[in-house]
Amino acid sequence: MLSKSVIEDVLTAALATGGDFSEVFVEDRYTNNLTLQGGKIENSLSGRDFGIGIRVFKGLNSVYTYTTDVTKEGLLKAARNAAHAISGETIIQPVPLVKEIITCAHPIAIHPRETEKIRKVNVMKKAYEIAKNYHSSIQQVLVRYLDEEQNVLIANSEGKFVEDKRVRGRMAIQSIASDGVQIQPGFYGPGAHKGFEFFENLNLEHYAAEASRIAVTMLSAEPCPSGKFPVIIDNEFGGVIFHEACGHGLEATAVAKDNSVFAGRIGEKVASEVVTYIDDGTLENEWGSITIDDEGEKARKNVLIENGILKGYLIDKFNGRRMGMPSTGSGRRQSYRFAPTSRMTNTFIAEGESTPEEIISNTEHGIYTKYMGGGSVTPATGDYNFAVMEAYLVKDGKIGKPLKGATLVGNGAETLQLVDMVGNNLGHGAGMCGSLSGSIPVNVGQPMIRVSEMTVGGSKEVE
Amino acid sequence: MNVQEFQQRLFELAEQHGFHDMEIYFEREEKFGCALFKGEIDSYETSEVAGAAFRGLFNGKMGYAFTEKLDEDSLQFLVENAKENSQFIEEEIQEDIFSGSEVYHEGSFHSSELAKVTIPEKIALFKEIENHIYEYDERVTGTDYFILESAESERFIMNSKGLSLKGKQNYIGMYISVVVKQGEETKTGTYIKMTRDFSSFVPKEIAKYAVEEALSQLNAQSAESKRYPVLLRNDAAASLLQTFSPIFSAENAQKGQSLLKDKVGEVIAAEELQIVDDPFLEDGLFSRTFDSEGVATVKKEIVKNGKLITLLHNRKTAEKAGLETTGNAYKSSYKGSLTVSPTNLYVIPSNKGFEELIASIREGIIVTDLAGLHSGADFVSGNFSLAANGYFVKEGKIQNAVKQMTIAGNFYDVLNNIEGIGSDLEFSMNFVAPGYIGSPTLLIKELAVTVE
Repeated sequence: MLSKSVIEDVLTAALATGGDFSEVFVEDRYTNNLTLQGGKIENSLSGRDFGIGIRVFKGLNSVYTYTTDVTKEGLLKAARNAAHAISGETIIQPVPLVKEIITCAHPIAIHPRETEKIRKVNVMKKAYEIAKNYHSSIQQVLVRYLDEEQNVLIANSEGKFVEDKRVRGRMAIQSIASDGVQIQPGFYGPGAHKGFEFFENLNLEHYAAEASRIAVTMLSAEPCPSGKFPVIIDNEFGGVIFHEACGHGLEATAVAKDNSVFAGRIGEKVASEVVTYIDDGTLENEWGSITIDDEGEKARKNVLIENGILKGYLIDKFNGRRMGMPSTGSGRRQSYRFAPTSRMTNTFIAEGESTPEEIISNTEHGIYTKYMGGGSVTPATGDYNFAVMEAYLVKDGKIGKPLKGATLVGNGAETLQLVDMVGNNLGHGAGMCGSLSGSIPVNVGQPMIRVSEMTVGGSKEVE
Repeated sequence: MNVQEFQQRLFELAEQHGFHDMEIYFEREEKFGCALFKGEIDSYETSEVAGAAFRGLFNGKMGYAFTEKLDEDSLQFLVENAKENSQFIEEEIQEDIFSGSEVYHEGSFHSSELAKVTIPEKIALFKEIENHIYEYDERVTGTDYFILESAESERFIMNSKGLSLKGKQNYIGMYISVVVKQGEETKTGTYIKMTRDFSSFVPKEIAKYAVEEALSQLNAQSAESKRYPVLLRNDAAASLLQTFSPIFSAENAQKGQSLLKDKVGEVIAAEELQIVDDPFLEDGLFSRTFDSEGVATVKKEIVKNGKLITLLHNRKTAEKAGLETTGNAYKSSYKGSLTVSPTNLYVIPSNKGFEELIASIREGIIVTDLAGLHSGADFVSGNFSLAANGYFVKEGKIQNAVKQMTIAGNFYDVLNNIEGIGSDLEFSMNFVAPGYIGSPTLLIKELAVTVE
């Protein structure tokens, strides 16, 4: 994408005022975004992002600059702008670059850029038909399609020089059901680090119908009771609670500045012993997977909590300096417009031994959440609040009537201690995670789990 | 390739591929941003980005594509993708390429004074504010965020119908959140401001404002949960109006997403209420002389004496409605497709002071801050349920801060229940929807208030 000698010049210019590390990130990304509403294509937009980000460290100071002007003069100007924020004499020269050859760990069969868009439209229309025809109360279906090819080049003053191609796709189906009085939404948004084969092999009969089934089911749901209950959270996207309330607290961004309840606690018991929490960027073709991170480090499997004991954090190069710990292959960013920081990839609770049937039949009176909705967390405290998209009452070991308006309220660190059963049906759900370095694709995941006690907020209607 | 050369080659190539009307929309932006934490520069960022969007009619359908790289490959990429994208568009009424308005009003939204301020000068001012914050009160324990941002941008529209327009603007913004602690109680106070007038930043006053905001929330008491008259302070009123500003878009109305759909000419609000959309507001962040289709912008009344005068249109929504565009076509950037947005839209202030409005309340709540605007408000139904901070008022006087509240109601009802309008116009910094949206303090007859 850029010649080695230009990159070396940029890395050198960035160190001219005393920086001790410089890095170049070049990105060339092709995207297609399509929206289908009411059976018709509403938007079809294609784009090419191209830019470069330059980062300089000096001790615990970090400077970032980015530009779309990729002429040599433009790049050197950007490097000088970055260096300008630091004052001093040159202390080091970059190590000569040696190209590292990597093989993509996530094979791509059909490149989306070489796929006719009509095939993409056809998949969307099929999803629409399935969702719309699921039930007569389905009023609206919105289908969104995204594919992208992100080509990156990462080089730094330590001699790192590596290129990678990331191909991803995602389809989001949103159904809205109405019985004339109320409106209920249902959503499913599968995604993968795969080419167009992902869409053609996607089980639309399942995903599109599920989006509508959730919406229709919730029409006949009763208001959720408030109080403290045992809560059973099903697999896949159920993992979003632990992603928000624990995952973010294990990122170096929070830990390095001591803004996390998990800071300084490696080796301590932070969760119930049935909990093993893992971040694994190497899972083949998963939505949150990477071959290398955005600092050029190889993806790996990081065990964060093992049988309840805190084992490690997710660390990027810069926060690693403050913590005195090496990178864990967790430096990620949305695009060249963001400096990378420690982020999750595919984060999940490892499989346990209980069958889902056992978990339910062992629960006398509680709440079962089949699909989670959105929520928010205060990072410093770990207090969270999540809406449940589809919930049921559990009575005498059986799933009962559907409940609407349920929210789960609690504290991440406390909830981790209260997990008392872990199922054997691990599944992953695709999502977008927003933080300091932008919005990035991640998987959240877990098998079915049970939390012995959680605060459930019912739907108090506004009079 | 420079923009002119790129545009020429692009139009040639597009024509060869069968496009008839074409447009290129180009934007360039330079930014600087930094964050401070206890005297240290916590982050420092500069950037310079540019990109071009191509839009063209192929067989009568509009196709879109954008690029950030102006090279050979991108010419091919834009034309081929826009052509392919156009083929799936099934709507009958199409966007078109506009040949230009007869008159474009003058307007300059670029301050050359601000452009001269150097990065070290900006940082020095910012550090001074931080010093004053820590000196002001010993209960200040830190800052949640302390961010400075400045930007300078320009945009061009050029099309095959001979239109060629250029606009330029700049601004500087500050986002400050101060944390104070007293006993077990922690409160924050924010100061957020975006402007083109660098001299309007007075460090001591900014520090005082932010710290006082936080201190005034201390000793928060509970209050009975019930319906109260609510005084929405100017910034909170502006945030609420911003959240619901999409209801004035004809595009949303035509999609059935605004209850103002068939209300033009009807009374939708209290008689005192006047709302205007003013693209020429001197310090307005959305000031512009032409919209994203190249149509000359105009200042217009949206609500007059409570009556809805017009919705906001672009050329396509206007054609659907059999009207003229209002010059409110909007693209978030070269990456976005064409939609509708207010420019600088605000409630015209009256002559009542803040204290005078408080004095008229026998028992009520003042709301100084709203949170959860992303998730707690539904502009389609108008319903909202939002976290709020503020004070309890009795017999015309502020009694105390109130613990975290939830205020709930319906925005369409709020418009009708306005009983007083202040003189203190302020603009919202919660950009939950596009547009620079302002309001003075508003007294609302009643809203449901739940106290923690």
